[in-house]
Formats: sequence, structure tokens, C-alpha cells
Amino acid sequence: MVGAIDINSVIKKFTTDDGNEITALDGVDLNIKAGEFISLIGPSGCGKSTLLRLIAGLSTPTKGTLSMDGAGIEGTSYERGLVFQNAMLFPWLNIYDNIAFGLKARNVYRKHKERVSKFINMVSLAGFEKSYPHQLSGGMIQRAGLARVLINDPKVLLLDEPLGALDAFTRMNLQDELIHLWKKEKMTMILVTHDVDEAVYLSSRIVVMTPRPAKVEKILDVNLSYPRVRSSSEFLYLRTQILKILDYAGKTEDPGYFI
Amino acid sequence: MQIEHVQKFFENKVFILLFIVVWEILSRSGLVNNLFLPPFSSVLETIWQLLINGSFSASVLISLQRAVLGFVVGVLIAVPLGFWLSVWPRGLQMSIWPLLKVAEQANPFILFHVVILFAGIGEFAKTIILSWVCLWPILFSICDGIKNANTDILKVGASFGLSRWQLFSKITIPMVMPSLFTGLRISAGYAFFLLIVIEMMGSNSGLGWFVLSNQENYNIDRIYAGAVTIAVLAVFIDFILKSIEAKLLSHQYPEIIN
Ligand SMILES: Nc1ncnc2c1ncn2[C@@H]1O[C@H](COP(=O)(O)OP(=O)(O)OP(=O)(O)O)[C@@H](O)[C@H]1O
Ligand SMILES: [Mg+2]
Repeated sequence: MVGAIDINSVIKKFTTDDGNEITALDGVDLNIKAGEFISLIGPSGCGKSTLLRLIAGLSTPTKGTLSMDGAGIEGTSYERGLVFQNAMLFPWLNIYDNIAFGLKARNVYRKHKERVSKFINMVSLAGFEKSYPHQLSGGMIQRAGLARVLINDPKVLLLDEPLGALDAFTRMNLQDELIHLWKKEKMTMILVTHDVDEAVYLSSRIVVMTPRPAKVEKILDVNLSYPRVRSSSEFLYLRTQILKILDYAGKTEDPGYFI
Repeated sequence: MQIEHVQKFFENKVFILLFIVVWEILSRSGLVNNLFLPPFSSVLETIWQLLINGSFSASVLISLQRAVLGFVVGVLIAVPLGFWLSVWPRGLQMSIWPLLKVAEQANPFILFHVVILFAGIGEFAKTIILSWVCLWPILFSICDGIKNANTDILKVGASFGLSRWQLFSKITIPMVMPSLFTGLRISAGYAFFLLIVIEMMGSNSGLGWFVLSNQENYNIDRIYAGAVTIAVLAVFIDFILKSIEAKLLSHQYPEIIN
């Protein structure tokens, strides 16, 4: 099985326009096995997207190394598909061409033409091939964005809050679709989310990160069988666990006063 | 359906029609001296007479030809230049920017006299000055389009493992299109506006020359005929560009059309 990601002591610093240095990641260590479903959870601005972009190969670490199946990550590859928040479809292409984009870019469209309709059907967008992104609902756009990445058969799927902007029902539907997909395609999933429920519902391991500069605060195994029941006591226990960690994450010193 | 269309047409044009009606009334009633303001209908008649008799359509055609030539040359220079500038290192871009801004502000009428010194007063000088004027809005619209572009969309492109050339052709160009069209329309307007003045400054053909020569003969009807024709052509040119824009871009950015 392929799709293991190793992150070793990764430090990522940014220099802002006014010359200040920001440390987004301050020594992140994480070993992700092939075929795992990992959720990254942590306070806003801690560096989750930064980490995802590093894995995707969109940027390089200041220090430390990232590798996939033992080989260092250099540059982007369709094998590590990144689904952005808000999907970011290309507004100048219709849904069909958006989803077929990766195939055409790799010059394999003629050979794999039938995949396009397969993935359009998979995300239930049949009939909307000719529509443009602005004519679709948020949930449909999100699904199209997912299909656009999945069509390339990635070994690792990187999801940056892909469901954040959706209503509760669409969200739950897509969560089930994600699990279904993951079981079928057996790829490695790395999901950034703010939603603790979502993390517990989906993942095999949950990585809680500290506030910026981010490190791994705690890794929790989720040993619940799928499909998970959101109201089961184990589910609720885990959920409370994580909320507790998040609340305390980074608050190492006692404020020393009471309100 | 039919009625809606008719209604829409008049809604859009109601003030133009009103303007023409007021013009006609002012002139016919004698409120304004006919010598200074001939009735609109007689201006139309003059245009018709001029078109039949032949020499006028030659003026229209030669003006259009000059405007289109200057515009096309401007586009052919500005488009590659704009995209080329956008791949310059940031620092270098910043330092050339002021020079470009100054060049844009150079007064085209004064510049025209300089161009004449080098290129003579023929068609070549006109093409040079028109393309110069067309150059800037297009150039800046490309630079702005790239600068204000959604950098996340570029990242999406990059995340598919595209090559530099693929990124440029498949992402950057379509992304810049809406902004580019704004530049094209501004340029086309400039080109035609400036052309008329240039034809007045030194030419013996074209619409500008036509208006000027009739002014010298106090042929008021013909001056108005020239002016109305020029206005109609300007609207027509913009209409054509707008239609192309609508056809190419309306599906992706419905908000930019109307
Ligand atoms: N290109 C950049 N230049 C400068 N600073 C950056 C850049 N990208 C990210 N940062 C900074 O790094 C930190 C982490 O950003 P990042 O987007 O990874 O956070 P995040 O955990 O994804 O937050 P959120 O949950 O709100 O999306 C932030 O403080 C941000 O300001
Ligand atoms: Mg983020």
C-alpha cells in the first residue's frame, strides 16, 4: 500500500511584508501510515493549512523534512491531491471541464475520458456538466472540487476544511461520502477541520495541534467501527476529551488571577 | 415575449430618444437658431445624402480602418508586453512601474507632433500614436488582472502538478481575461476619440478632416452629420467589443455584463 507520509521536525517560518518573522510550525513530527484517515484539529491560525501545503508540495519547510513513501517531497504532484476550502473551482470552466482538468493537464484525457462521467456520477452532479461554478450551490461546488481532485487517483487526499462552509445536512451527507470513498479507494486521508464531531466521526487518528507556533499537542486513536453513531457514549467521551485538550492547549502557565 | 423585448429596447434607449425629440423640437420651433442647431431629422437627411453621393462613406471607412489598425497594433504590442512584465522579478517590476505611469500620462497631442518629426505626417505617424494610446490601458489591465488575481486559484493550478507553461496558459490567461477586456474597451474608445482629433490636426481624409473642412465652409448641416456619425460609430465599436466579451465571458462572470 502506498501513501505514507512522514513529517520530521518540520519548522516553517514566514517573513511578513514589514519584515517580522512568524513561526507557523515549530518542529512538527508526525508519521502517517498509508491508508489512514487523519484529522488535524487546532486553534485558528496555528498552521494547519501551512502543514497541508507543505505536504502538497506547494511550499518548502524552513527546516526539517517531509517524505512520501520514503521519498522526499519535492514540488506538487497529482498523487497528493489538495482540496481547498471553498473548493476554488475555475470560474472560466464548466463543471465537466473543471472535473476533467487534471486529466487534460496530464494529457491522459483521451485515454480516460470515461472517468469524467464516472466521477461526475459519483458526486451526484450528473446533469450539471454544462453549468458554470456560479450556477451551483455551495455543496455542489464542494463536491465538484472533490471530484476534480479524485479523478487523478491521488494516493493521498489532503482536505483543508472542505466542508466548513456547508449546511449541516449537506455536511453530514458529504462526510458519509468521504468515508465511503476512503474505504473503496483505500487512500490516505488528511483532513483539516474545526469541527470536533467531524473529526471523531471520520478519522482513525486525530492530531490535536497547539496554538501558533504549532506543534503536535496530542494524538488520539479512534477505535470505533464505521459507521459511527454520533450519540454513542464512546463517541461523546472522545469528543469531550478533545474539547478539553483544545481548551487547555497551549495554556501552560496559570494566568494567576480570578475573575 | 415580443412585447417584453420591445419594452426593454425602449427602456434602454428612452433617454436617447428623449434627447433627440427635444433637439428636434428646439430646432423646429425656432427656439434655437437653425443655423446653429439644424433639426435632427435634417441631419439624418444630410447623412443619407452624403452616403449616397459616395465621398462620405470613404471618409467613414478610412477612419474606421485607421482606428482598427492603431488598435490592433496596440493590442499586439501590449498583450505580450503585459504578460512578459508580469514574470519580471517583483523588485524590477516595482522600479519600472513609475516610468510606465509617466509614459502613460504623456500628452498624445504633443507626442503626435514629435512623432511627425520622425515619421512624417502620413498613415504611419497616425498608427504609431494610436497604438501608443491603446497600449497603456491594455498593459495596465493585464498587470492589474495578474496582481489582483486570486492567488489561491494559482495554487490550485499548481497543486495539480502543472508545468510553468501550463500554469500560464491554463490558469493565468483565463484568469486575466475579464480585466483584459476592460482594458480593450477603454483602448478602443481612446483610439477612436484620438483619431478624430488627429485627423483634424493634419490629414486630408477621414471623419475628423470631414468635420473640420466643413467647419471652414460653415456647412453646419454637415458638421452635425459628421458628429452624429462619429458618435454612432463610437457606440458601435464599443457594442462589438461588448458582444465579444459577453460571448466569451458571460458564462463565468455574469456580473460583469450589465
Ligand atoms: N504566506 C504567508 N506569509 C506570511 N504568513 C503566513 C503565510 N501563510 C500563513 N502565514 C501565517 O502562518 C500562520 C498559520 O497560518 P495557517 O493558514 O496555516 O493557519 P491555520 O491553522 O490553517 O488557520 P485556520 O484554521 O484559521 O485556517 C498564521 O499566523 C498566518 O498568518
Ligand atoms: Mg487554514
